[in-house]
Amino acid sequence: MKNLIQKTLKVREIPVFLGLLIVVLITGTANPAFFTLSGFQDITLGVAVVATLAVAQTLVIVMKHIDLSVGSTIGFSAYLIGDASSKGHGFWYCMALALGLGLVVGAVNGYLVAYLKLPSLVVTLATLYIVRGLFNEIAGGNTITEDMVPKAINFMGLNTFFGIPYLFLVAVILMLVVGFIMKRLRPARDLYAIGSNLAAAELVGIPVARRVFLAFLATGAVSGLAGAVLLARFNTAAANSGNGLELSVVAACVVGGVAIAGGIGTVYGAVIGAVLLQAITMALGALGVPQFWQLTVNGILLIAAISLDRYLSTRVKPTSIMGTN
Amino acid sequence: MAPNQKAVLEMRDAAKAFGGVQALKGAELTLYPGEIHALLGENGAGKSTLLKALAGVHKIDSGSITLNGKQFEQGSTRAARDQGIAVIYQEPSLFPDLTLAENVFVGRQLQKGKTVDWQGMEKESRKLFEQLGVNLDPTIRARGLSIADQQIVEIAKALSTQATVIVMDEPTAALSSKEVDRLFKVARNLEAQNCAVVFVSHRLDEVFALCSRITVMRDGATVGSAPTSEMNEAKVIKLMVGREISELYPKLEAKLGEVVLKVEDLGLAGQFANINFEVRAGEIVGLAGLVGSGRSEVVRAIFGIDKYDKGSVWLNGKKLKPGNPSAHMVAGMALVPEDRRQQGLFMSSSINKNSAVTMLKRISKLFIVRQKDEGKLASDWGKILQLKYATGHDPVDRLSGGNQQKVVLAKWLATEPKLLIVDEPTRGIDVGTKSEVHRLLSQKAQEGMAIVMVSSELPEVMGMADRILVMREGRMVGEFDRKQATAEKIIAVATGASGK
Amino acid sequence: MKKFTFGWDHGVTIFLVLTVVLGGFISEYFATIDNLSFVIQDIAEIAIIALAMSYLIIAGEIDLSVASILSLSSATIGFLFRNGTSFEMAIVGGLIVGLLCGLLNGYLVTVIGLPSLAVTIGTLALFRGLCYALLGNEPVNELPENWIVLGYENIPGTFLPWSTIPLVILAAIAWIVLHYTRIGRWTFAIGINAEAAKFSGIPVARMKLGLFAMTGLMSGVAGVVYTLRFASASPDGAVGYELGVIAAVLFGGVSIAGGIGTLWGVLAAVFALGAIRSVLQLIDFSANALLIVSGALLLISVVVPRAIEIAQSRRKSTFVTNK
Repeated sequence: MKNLIQKTLKVREIPVFLGLLIVVLITGTANPAFFTLSGFQDITLGVAVVATLAVAQTLVIVMKHIDLSVGSTIGFSAYLIGDASSKGHGFWYCMALALGLGLVVGAVNGYLVAYLKLPSLVVTLATLYIVRGLFNEIAGGNTITEDMVPKAINFMGLNTFFGIPYLFLVAVILMLVVGFIMKRLRPARDLYAIGSNLAAAELVGIPVARRVFLAFLATGAVSGLAGAVLLARFNTAAANSGNGLELSVVAACVVGGVAIAGGIGTVYGAVIGAVLLQAITMALGALGVPQFWQLTVNGILLIAAISLDRYLSTRVKPTSIMGTN
Repeated sequence: MAPNQKAVLEMRDAAKAFGGVQALKGAELTLYPGEIHALLGENGAGKSTLLKALAGVHKIDSGSITLNGKQFEQGSTRAARDQGIAVIYQEPSLFPDLTLAENVFVGRQLQKGKTVDWQGMEKESRKLFEQLGVNLDPTIRARGLSIADQQIVEIAKALSTQATVIVMDEPTAALSSKEVDRLFKVARNLEAQNCAVVFVSHRLDEVFALCSRITVMRDGATVGSAPTSEMNEAKVIKLMVGREISELYPKLEAKLGEVVLKVEDLGLAGQFANINFEVRAGEIVGLAGLVGSGRSEVVRAIFGIDKYDKGSVWLNGKKLKPGNPSAHMVAGMALVPEDRRQQGLFMSSSINKNSAVTMLKRISKLFIVRQKDEGKLASDWGKILQLKYATGHDPVDRLSGGNQQKVVLAKWLATEPKLLIVDEPTRGIDVGTKSEVHRLLSQKAQEGMAIVMVSSELPEVMGMADRILVMREGRMVGEFDRKQATAEKIIAVATGASGK
Repeated sequence: MKKFTFGWDHGVTIFLVLTVVLGGFISEYFATIDNLSFVIQDIAEIAIIALAMSYLIIAGEIDLSVASILSLSSATIGFLFRNGTSFEMAIVGGLIVGLLCGLLNGYLVTVIGLPSLAVTIGTLALFRGLCYALLGNEPVNELPENWIVLGYENIPGTFLPWSTIPLVILAAIAWIVLHYTRIGRWTFAIGINAEAAKFSGIPVARMKLGLFAMTGLMSGVAGVVYTLRFASASPDGAVGYELGVIAAVLFGGVSIAGGIGTLWGVLAAVFALGAIRSVLQLIDFSANALLIVSGALLLISVVVPRAIEIAQSRRKSTFVTNK
């Protein structure tokens, strides 16, 4: 039993989850409105976009890389979907367009990082600009309005499934699928090996470049498809859609225990991290704290999360031969 | 064991050159199944190049390698593994964030259907650990594992690939004596399972206790190979060294002056404890001991790289603050570190800048670093040390190892230190440069510098030092005067052997 | 004498000259004094922060919180002034806040030992949040007229905006210190190999702390310039500037891996980006084109050196096999 407790505490996602529970409990006690169904729906609906992107971002962060271009990609994709739909194209055509955009951005990032071995921070910062620039050039001052949004997407954004917003369900299903893949499929395990010890990964013959490329491609693809989530959430898209989302996404991952140093973390953690940040934002509102404190709190939380991680990892005691023999 | 058995691996007349340096030339190695085979040789004899050829890191230029009767496919680490050769390096390279089970099977995780079979991997690796007689939990992560345990994981990995040849490169260097005993058990276990185990070590007592055959290399060539029963220590040492030692070390007599360095009861948890010694002006004190005995850790702490948590360091009667190398430098201390490329030099930076990095304050006027003085400083020291280079603006990574070491020496000698600490000052450099370095150290001592020399090469320590301190497992265990020191006595103290 | 080698900074300089010449052909207004004045005003904040950011990236670290520090410094000025402090003292307060922000980043990185990328994403949010905490959603617009003229008028008798003065002075100091003094040498040494730097008696932690503090202070200075230029202190100023600063520094030839770069290259890059922006605006190209150009230049700044490296290693290997 004691063993079980110890093991549970070692799981990186647990402290974040406990943090989430505490936030919800305190807020709920202070303001019972927070405990209502609509309180729950506010949080889950609000977190859908960041949670979806955080799942995708986890793929690259565990490899000790980063993808800053996701905010531009998702915004552009949301616009493309609305634009194509308003021109009379069907739902699947719109989604194919979104996927196509994501694949192109992902392939460019992946090629430059994996095969030319360029630093991902710089590469994705550049594609952040380029995609945003192209997006704005095409969008101009246009705004996608509610009537231009495909019916299916509009429906998803406004409705719930037994009280759970559809958009949150999408994020959760994505999390479960990717979570399964990252735990159970060999190529996905290689991502952890690459992030944990790159030289050793090459030494044991892991096809590093191909894995890195595919991970960036997948992140791009999800970010593209997530355009639908963004569009559904706000029922509108314009040139500034998705601006700055990349930093919230990275913050959610890091708070959720996906180490920026690579090799460690899960999509479950990333999603819990996103929910925690969202819950705190909502909690501050519910407690009557002016909304502008939320950013400050998010920042402090992020720093606290990495400090805690640092503290815990230096405390790992070497298992001496005496102890294990 | 039995030479009439069929060899599992045969390397014939292998040669390999890097640039102009001939690392292997006429290297031979024959391994039989079910034997532990020692590969011996001094630093730079070509052992590690040979091992890397077997690991698939290097391709040999000429010669042949056959494995189980077939030609060995070279130049790929993955291919080497698939053909049944596993190499365990001195510093194992595990994945710290993965569990031990996954570390054993990384890159080829066991599967049930199309998905990774975690329980299967845990069961299998637990079995492998048991087979090796070690109780490790396969579900813990590798981060923080002791080197000894990491080696066990690497060995389990080798077993899981059905390796027939398992190479261990100085596996005992960083182990305590109890850990060494456990490793011996594991090695004998492998021997009994009909593996061919290659055991590289500098500790002759271990070699004679464990191995059934011994192959000795010198200057890239195999100079002898025979069953252990036909060898003895004297014979092996003669094969390894192959030349008279004394001429290499031009030690001059120096007059001893005041105490320059005083180390009092120095300790750092888990690294070393109760370190006491003094060094006088003009004296060269050798710090001997096996790799991993704590010598480098002690000198790092003395120079302030690492903080110590007990005791004190005094330089010229002044107590130094722990953990502050820049203050130590100003106080008159210098350290030529163990790892030239990582710790000693800025490889992409020029010779001039590297030589002057410790002297920036003294060659500045009104805060401006005077490039002329910098160039002059570098070229003056280049002359003194007979540095071979084109221009001072060339990056140091274009220099040979010996010349690189001269740049490190230059940057520290330029500060005119009262105490110079040199850690493995001649590792990996050619014989000619080696004696130049020795002559220089000897001359500096005669001029009144106090010198602490850490070295794994006994002849070097015995040739150069006025006094030799010996460390074992983080403790000072012996002190010898130049006249009374013999290789046998030092080795006996360093290994803790009773002297047989 | 050191042989002249063509470096990235020379390439950027040529690029700058070409931009200016082409700009002159494309729009007759481009090469006018008024426009030059406008360009300088437009790039002043980014240039000032880029000076400090160059040091930080050369030393192997990064600071993503600079735009938030800029804004917090501006918000502090507004807050203090609104609450009755004299404007002069408010500016001092803004600078001190900038310095403190930098010290906090530096403390978290050097003392606690956290990765600067993650830390400064955190402080990016933290400092921005404090802007709102100070000002609410109300910008402070009633600033003293004798100060805000500095934001839109030129130095009397010249075509140069007042922000030229801090820019020139700081650039000159930063240039001399980086390339000619011990501090500069140490900065490069730390970026090339921090471990070797420690073994060479360089106070690595103290240097890094200092560089973060300096970056905070420079962001504070940029905050003052920004406040005067827009004659307003608002909580949402300069959002996203950090990426512009980093893009300029990297395009200027500073390696994200540390240890490589020149201040001249960075300044040329800042001016080149400013010039491009001006040209694009003059020919009625949308601001979006600038985003694309910035991104493309950033990519070029990593792809080209890498391509040269690959080409060289290929040549080398064929050379060896021919032998």
